[in-house]
Amino acid sequence: MKAIPESLREALALRADTNLVPYAGGTDLMVRGSSNAEYLFLGRVPELRRITADGETVRIGAAVTFTEALESDAVPALLKEAVSRIAAPAIRNAGTFGGNLSNGSTKADSAVALLAADARVRLQSLRGERILAIDEFCLAKGKRDLGEDELVTEILLPAGGLENYSFEKVGGRKALAISRVSFAGVFCADEGRITKAAAAFGAVSDSFLRFRELEARLIGKTIEEARELKPAYLKAYAEKLELKDGRVSAEYRRTVCLNLLKAFLEKFGV
Amino acid sequence: MDTIRFELNTRPVSWEGQASARLLDTLRRDFSCLSVKCGCGEGECGACAVLVDGRLINSCCVAMGAVDGKAILTLEGFRETPQFAALNRAFADFSAVQCGFCTPGMVLAAHALLTARPDPSEAEIREGLSGNLCRCTGYNAIVNAVKAAAKEGLW
Repeated sequence: MKAIPESLREALALRADTNLVPYAGGTDLMVRGSSNAEYLFLGRVPELRRITADGETVRIGAAVTFTEALESDAVPALLKEAVSRIAAPAIRNAGTFGGNLSNGSTKADSAVALLAADARVRLQSLRGERILAIDEFCLAKGKRDLGEDELVTEILLPAGGLENYSFEKVGGRKALAISRVSFAGVFCADEGRITKAAAAFGAVSDSFLRFRELEARLIGKTIEEARELKPAYLKAYAEKLELKDGRVSAEYRRTVCLNLLKAFLEKFGV
Repeated sequence: MDTIRFELNTRPVSWEGQASARLLDTLRRDFSCLSVKCGCGEGECGACAVLVDGRLINSCCVAMGAVDGKAILTLEGFRETPQFAALNRAFADFSAVQCGFCTPGMVLAAHALLTARPDPSEAEIREGLSGNLCRCTGYNAIVNAVKAAAKEGLW
């Protein structure tokens, strides 16, 4: 069956009526795929292919490629830095935000940046829509909160407040590397007081990690107060980061996570 | 059976088969585009790279349903162009080819890069070729060849 819808309505109807596997860039699906697989090709659905921005929100269609995002003036620098580290040009020319979030990996580089940025995911079906935070959608490795009739249609990012950030990817080589540890941080201060110190970790656990209850300890503090708190703050993260061995050891993962967190705080004077 | 229509090396073609079939296999088996090589089969080596609507894409990671209505360029089509002649000369001058398995993908990656950036820095060349693995020539000869081809001013 050749399922190449030309509108979102048509795509959602096919999603509801069939068991076709949603296909955007193909870069993960085709590696796993068998020739008997049946796909719902989303590349021609205009609603999924555009980037729009108003004063409050940047909306990136689920089938927008990483290269298209890198070429867009509307996409925040944090997200551009994260996707510029994905694979190599030919993969970035095909790979999409919807695919990177949905395929179930906790090594998805775009997801870590989106989590730190407080981005949300729009899911649509013929029944209606849901808007979820990144960590509400990405529940665990291989597990996403996505109904069988739903499609990821858009990523929603705040249009401001992402200027002060860190993104770090630790991999085996510069290109075509799968993350061993990925880190994204977003820092905001207003009149000398910290209003945001978001830190997200990827590739180190069965889910993306963000500890909002720890972040809250820095909110409202001056930089000097935060600096005094820093040893206890890093210790609290060390206790939270109870990791397991994976491609690299638990100890390596924790050490790198804490080093990246420390470098992030120091970048902004803490 | 599905009918997929696309443009291959500037000619319109129609293909019958499963929409989930790999573009790589279709190009080699049904269109005799044997420049397109299967190296790793998972998007990591670039030996199967082709241009889809002008963008470099690994054909091992593309299903036929995704190329309906698109324009595909393989080395078989690109070799008719003056840009190919410039890259061909430069690759020969700098001994940038040994076994040749990676070369079609490498040349198309170079063409895609030079189309976007006609006068690239060395770092940009290395970035542009970063998804194409070569395991015999070594990258310096290839990078130097691309630098030399860029100087011909054809992009």
